[in-house]
Amino acid sequence: MDIKNFFLILLFSIWFRSSLSGQTNSMESVPDLQKSMYMAVDGYPCVRLVNLSGEIGCSNPGRDKVVSPIIKYKNNKGLAQPSAILLSMDDVQGFFSRVSNDSSFARNVGGVLVESGVAIQHKQKGFSPAQKFPQAAFAPYLNTTYEWNPIGSGIMWKSYNFPVFLLSESSTSALQEIAMKNEKAEKAYTKNVAEFDVVMQTTKVGTHDSESCLTEETCLPLGGYSVWSAVPPINNSSSKQSKPIILTVASMDAASFFRDKSLGADSPISGVISLLAAVDALSHVDGLDDLKKQLVFLVFTGEAWGYLGSRRFLLELDKQSDAVHGLDSSLIQLVMEIGSTGKGLSQGNKTFFAHTKVSSGANEALDALKLAQESLKSEGVTVSNASSSNPGIPPSSLMAFLRKNSSTSGIVLEDFDTVFANKFFHSHLDDSANINSSSIVAAASLVARTLYLLASDKKDLTNSALSAINVNASLVEELISCMLKCNPGLSCELVSSYIKSTNTCPNHYVGVVLGEPSSTPYPDQVDDVSRFVWNFLADRTSTPKGNTSVCSEDCAKNGGLCIRAELDGKGVCVVSTTRYVPAYSTRLKFDSGTWKVLPPNSSDPMGMLDPVWTESNWNTIGLRVYTIQEAAYDRLVLLGGITVTVFAYLAIVLTRAYITKALKQD
Amino acid sequence: MTVAAGIGYALVALGPSLSLFISVISKKPFLILTLLSSTLVWLISLIILSGIWRAFLPLNSTSWWPFAILIFSSVAFQEGLRLLFWKVYKRLEDILDAFADRVSKPRLYLTDKMQIALAGGLGHGVAHAVFFCLSLLTPAFGPATYFVDRCSQIPFFLVSAIIALAFVTVHTFSMVIAFNGYAEGNKLDQYFVPSVHLAAGMMTLINFAYDGCVIGIPLLFLMAILTLMHCGRMVWRRLADNQRQGIS
Repeated sequence: MDIKNFFLILLFSIWFRSSLSGQTNSMESVPDLQKSMYMAVDGYPCVRLVNLSGEIGCSNPGRDKVVSPIIKYKNNKGLAQPSAILLSMDDVQGFFSRVSNDSSFARNVGGVLVESGVAIQHKQKGFSPAQKFPQAAFAPYLNTTYEWNPIGSGIMWKSYNFPVFLLSESSTSALQEIAMKNEKAEKAYTKNVAEFDVVMQTTKVGTHDSESCLTEETCLPLGGYSVWSAVPPINNSSSKQSKPIILTVASMDAASFFRDKSLGADSPISGVISLLAAVDALSHVDGLDDLKKQLVFLVFTGEAWGYLGSRRFLLELDKQSDAVHGLDSSLIQLVMEIGSTGKGLSQGNKTFFAHTKVSSGANEALDALKLAQESLKSEGVTVSNASSSNPGIPPSSLMAFLRKNSSTSGIVLEDFDTVFANKFFHSHLDDSANINSSSIVAAASLVARTLYLLASDKKDLTNSALSAINVNASLVEELISCMLKCNPGLSCELVSSYIKSTNTCPNHYVGVVLGEPSSTPYPDQVDDVSRFVWNFLADRTSTPKGNTSVCSEDCAKNGGLCIRAELDGKGVCVVSTTRYVPAYSTRLKFDSGTWKVLPPNSSDPMGMLDPVWTESNWNTIGLRVYTIQEAAYDRLVLLGGITVTVFAYLAIVLTRAYITKALKQD
Repeated sequence: MTVAAGIGYALVALGPSLSLFISVISKKPFLILTLLSSTLVWLISLIILSGIWRAFLPLNSTSWWPFAILIFSSVAFQEGLRLLFWKVYKRLEDILDAFADRVSKPRLYLTDKMQIALAGGLGHGVAHAVFFCLSLLTPAFGPATYFVDRCSQIPFFLVSAIIALAFVTVHTFSMVIAFNGYAEGNKLDQYFVPSVHLAAGMMTLINFAYDGCVIGIPLLFLMAILTLMHCGRMVWRRLADNQRQGIS
């Protein structure tokens, strides 16, 4: 009987338990309550950048967080109180010009939240926060008012003393709802506010120019690591290099109003992809050792911020430093730059333009380009000379070479003629949807075949030799999806077979120089894309093919390199000439732990024009949204609490006195 | 919300208890001891209850009847504990009276006994307020406020403070009624206390309904006022009887 009862109770409790514990979305602790009160919003901030004479970018105005109610922007209405303004992409340009012109309006801007998402209007007009002639001061010609980028509004080159965030797609809809709730004002004494934490150290300490902020260590200079590689590898032990050098150049850094969303798909990453694909195509050609000229491929970084990569490379060449060991600047015969190549496709034909300064070396290169074009005729690829009404070459690394030595022969291959074809130059909208992979493949084929023609120096090369040089279109597709998309991003197969990337979503902002710049940096000093490019080039340019061994100490002794070193396993030892070159301003020197600004030197004319960009340090950057009660309501609650307490006290005292009196007891 | 609002909410929940403590309890050390021990007993009862109910948590928040069972069992357990508390107190009263006789001092007056009961009840009430309101109040000192979907007119912290205030009142004065009921053998008083406690507990379930707090909270306060008035009437009657009989 007892056992039966026991089993009944057991069954009941089991059934009871299973019916009770179910799915709940309720909170279980005070930290859960805290978390549900504050909604963390993910967004991309605009940060404070400092140069020798002033600042650009955005920051909190002081040391404190900025808390303002969220309202949606209406361009015909003013602002009654400091507010966090929710902007749609179409209103961005109008808003920022209004802020620059109307100081009473600007005073009431607490912070800005820019929506992201699918909006058709701005896609047709274009959006570019860059200048109309980017980095005009560095041009080797006088006409600096020419508009290479007519859509450019220049808003990213101004200074704002309020924080600006670009919202992610999921946050955009949430914040639109909140702004609407604020407008409807359902509960009169509450407001939905955004709390911005973009406190920049340069603002806190008060160092508003590069020199003082570098001395105070509240900022770090912009820069990174460029990569160069030689095809075929340069043999150090052989006699002095006498082969003339053909330099093929591209740049891998983009800029944008929002530092963490600098994709730069067309400008300039399409050029890097073309370069990598061309190297891959050439690596499959036999007889590279018999070429009459040495091919060197160079991928610069920091070009968007004063041509840091190219200028530093030229300085290192002059100093004959370790980073450029094996290269002799007097042997450089031609500089071929691959600019934007992603927008050359129109009606099935891929059209490119060769921008150059007239010289014999350039003419030779143009002839080779024409021959290469002939061999690609079946694919509708054409190369034309750029219009003679252009004032000169477009903004490109070649400007640094020409400024150094105006007799340098150079060509810039671009997908545009008189103005940029890229309507989203230096904006977060210059993404993979803005480019076409077949255009990049065509440019890579052109470059690969042209280089082969130039290097082999045989005017009567047969078509069959040229048509053996083919660019792998699926490699280009893969590079696009690795370097320009978040999915798969830098965790794609190609990249993860070389490096262990720190982020999945690729970002091509140059970043700051971490630690002391050197030609053999540690992996954590170099960013993901640079490390990938180094590994890829080392792998593709290595000879002989297939002769690899596990990395050991002997590798470097025998003139080899360790690639894939970050993966599990020791890495692979290959024979290749692939090196990092630090990319930072020629006006800076890293001396005993701090950066020092060098005085302008007339032997470095570009250095005299260099603004010396640095980025402010910060503690954290965050954005939260929550509901607040008005101060009057808070005070009312306090008053209520005090009243209740005092009232209770009085009641108790009265009752006690009454009882005592009524009983006549002590 | 800010520090001002946080202090405001704390005062709404515990201000009257503070007043009671300062004006009545702090004057006599024995009452302070009683208050502390009853707080401890109440917390221990919660620990035991949570130990038993842990196996069934978390409860599905969409249906209300598991919560009804939870409240019923908790109230029943706590009322049983109150009876135990009373028994312990009775023994203590006998010890104190015997001691008073030995040192030729007067025995416990009726008002003393009522004050001890009051202290006991206040201990229960303060424990409830601290556990169910004060422990949640830390986020209230930050800048943000919080509104629950089902009670969207009043901030969440204000709702919990007001409910805590009602329960403090109920607990404090129920103990006086209960001790008196056990001492006199008055069945009405003995059954009044558990019923009011259970009713008050069940009334919080009304808050589950959408905007139910608009009905639930006034009803809760009704219970509190009922307790207060019943206690007042009972105290008045006992003291009047005492005076008439000339027992001091």
